[in-house]
Amino acid sequence: MKKITIPCYMILAAVLAVAMAGPAAASSSLVVAVDTPPRMMNPHGDDSDANLSYMANFFDGLLQRKGPDGKLVPALAVRWEHPDELSWKFYLRKGVRFHNGNPFTAADVKFSFERLSNPEVSEFINTGKMIERVDIIDDYTVVIRTKKPIPWFANNMHQVFIMDKESTESRDPGQVMVKPIGTGAYKLVEWVKGSYLRLTANEDYWEGAPAIKNIEVRPITEASTRFAALVSGQTELMTGVPVELFARIKTNPRLLVISRPARRSIFLALGNEKDKPWSDIRVRKAMYMAINEDEIIAKIMRGHATPAAQIPDPPTIGYNAGIKRLPYDPVTARKLMAEAGYADGFSITLAGPNDRYVQDEQIAEAIAKYLSKIGIKVKLDVKPKAIFFPEVVEGKLDFYLIGWFDGTFDMGRTYFKLAHTRDKEMGYGGFNGTRYSDPDIDRLLESTAQIIDPAKRAKVLQDLNKMAMVDKITWIPLHYQEDLYAVQKGKGIKFQPRPDRWMVYKEISK
Amino acid sequence: MATYIARRLLQGIVVLLAVSMICFIIFRYMGDPVLAMAGKYATQSEIEEVRHMLGLDQPSYVQYGRFLWNALHGNFGKSYVTRIPALGLILERFPATFELATTAICMSFLVGLTLGVLVALRPHTWYNRLVMAGSLAGISVPTFLTGILLIMVFAVYLGILPPFGRGKTVTIGFWRTGFLTIDGIKHLILPAATLATYQLAVLLRLTRAGMREVLAEEYIKTAWAKGLPPRKVIFKHALRNVLIPVVTMTGLQFGELIAFSIVTETIFQWPGMGNLLLTSIYETDQPVIVTYIMLAAFIIITINMVVDILYAVLNPKIRYD
Repeated sequence: MKKITIPCYMILAAVLAVAMAGPAAASSSLVVAVDTPPRMMNPHGDDSDANLSYMANFFDGLLQRKGPDGKLVPALAVRWEHPDELSWKFYLRKGVRFHNGNPFTAADVKFSFERLSNPEVSEFINTGKMIERVDIIDDYTVVIRTKKPIPWFANNMHQVFIMDKESTESRDPGQVMVKPIGTGAYKLVEWVKGSYLRLTANEDYWEGAPAIKNIEVRPITEASTRFAALVSGQTELMTGVPVELFARIKTNPRLLVISRPARRSIFLALGNEKDKPWSDIRVRKAMYMAINEDEIIAKIMRGHATPAAQIPDPPTIGYNAGIKRLPYDPVTARKLMAEAGYADGFSITLAGPNDRYVQDEQIAEAIAKYLSKIGIKVKLDVKPKAIFFPEVVEGKLDFYLIGWFDGTFDMGRTYFKLAHTRDKEMGYGGFNGTRYSDPDIDRLLESTAQIIDPAKRAKVLQDLNKMAMVDKITWIPLHYQEDLYAVQKGKGIKFQPRPDRWMVYKEISK
Repeated sequence: MATYIARRLLQGIVVLLAVSMICFIIFRYMGDPVLAMAGKYATQSEIEEVRHMLGLDQPSYVQYGRFLWNALHGNFGKSYVTRIPALGLILERFPATFELATTAICMSFLVGLTLGVLVALRPHTWYNRLVMAGSLAGISVPTFLTGILLIMVFAVYLGILPPFGRGKTVTIGFWRTGFLTIDGIKHLILPAATLATYQLAVLLRLTRAGMREVLAEEYIKTAWAKGLPPRKVIFKHALRNVLIPVVTMTGLQFGELIAFSIVTETIFQWPGMGNLLLTSIYETDQPVIVTYIMLAAFIIITINMVVDILYAVLNPKIRYD
């Protein structure tokens, strides 16, 4: 589709000035164009943020994340305790009803958590398998016991949505996949696949009925079409504004652009096998310093990214504000290469997806050019994400571009997945596609698994982060993406984007 | 005739088998669906569990055999992405694609045929030369450009037609139709015109060439000489003979439109099967892709057969024995 979208942008951009405003919609309704369609209405069947974004409107978790910084606050649980390393006790909200009228009780919580480990209906198998058992103390108290201490367990509770036990069991499984029955702020009226979803306010919502009564969500994957829908007044709010169009939207008097730093950071993973030139720390530093990140942001990202010095973003536990990027300095880089004995450079293959991140392919091309200036011959190997990610999981690569953010706001899980030595048995290093291995990092990381106290945990994770980013150059960080939205001006739409990109309509008013 | 149809049916089954086998071989290189289905944080053993659940840990000939067996029972498997039966998922989108393709093919057949005949009657006038030049553009301009240009002019500049989607629809039984509402028809015009452009140009050129050839034949001269009215000469004697290749072409094109209007559906965000196929390819949703391709093959085979039978109706000289 790349070949198609580029001319689209050019042509559509040329006609922005004559944008037409459509008929004004009633004040209690909103039409939104989003970039990704829902896959299903089963809240456990897809762990992508794109699908969870829909589910968050129909369902509630025990906890939820609110506001621009994603603060963890109560939802279906009014409070929670952590009596011992393995137990999590949740006190449930009373008087909540599902959309079908069934009361919400501890049995629904138990049912929902047990459902997570069934691969037939769940992509949260990992979360499900962490759980030893769910004990119902009384109708409004549950204790969830994990097999191992999971420090970030509660942090993930905004993603695990509670389903109605009775109707999920009694309905046809196919129905459960297409018709959500939750406790959420909105009920699904109609889902015409490929066209639109209609949502109507749940007037009995436990947080109070949402401000906008009727929402129509139109998933439009093609960016230029999504944009045309906004410009022609058919929709009032759009997600996923492509950077190519950003400058032009900004000059359109009818549209207002909203941007916020995304949680996702883009970085380069680099292996460290002993016999490879890039296991030498001087070479790693040289590669880091050869990359002109400011230029990437200015030219490729058109200013819509912020430089990153580490993988986690500021709200994540383990983010270390003290870590600074190495300066862009090709002269020193060449010197370091010479010191390491690679004055003539070496060859390396840079892999990466070409349909996953903002400008991913262009960034990879730029990296190849920067590295060639210090003598490294880079062979580019960019491919569709469906081919690329399996290669990462299989650990077949040496050097690749990837992006990451962790829904739990806890760096520990990310590091186990990305940095720990690959260990099939323990399930570590599953996304460590370069077979990176460092005993110091492994040891410090494993020690964090027992630390639950947030302050202590933050301290150790920050140290670990510093060790990886400064002492070892485990990765070469590039930048944090920026999420871009556009709304029709003059409609009084109050919209504040969330860090996780979820579109939670109860948070929007107009 | 009966033996002929039986033979064609047999051929059709062989083609379907070949298609399914090719699909299977291709998908071995299309990426691993298990990874996405196990979730981002799954461990190796959890990934293996999902693989086992889907039967993807078995050798490919076992998988293929099981697929065939299930397909014979009308079960094409569940989509890996939505976990809904793949056939249902596709058939749900069928009305949208069918209505779009039907409208497009009617547009191109009527307009293409009429213009083709008119141009053939007076080939050397300037306006007919203009039509021919236009048809060349129709053939050579890619669909996505046509679509975007139409959106630009009619949706963005003039604002008289909607740029995307299907508009208001009415559900009759399982069939969701856009034909019955003004809004639905408005939404249909741009994508149908986009889809029709190429086909129209092809039919126009085909009709014109055929007409010019036939009009020079002796029997047409005889007809004129007999003093038959032009209507009779042109439509009854000339056009009927030209129609055979035109109908074949239209049939082939119709099958193609139903099966492969992917680009147009994507640009106009048309909720049809092509749109679904593209999404499924992005997400390595093998059951949906395989089912889709099998269905497309089935539709094309069927249409070709109908066209063959239509021959006999158009030209009684043709016999199938």
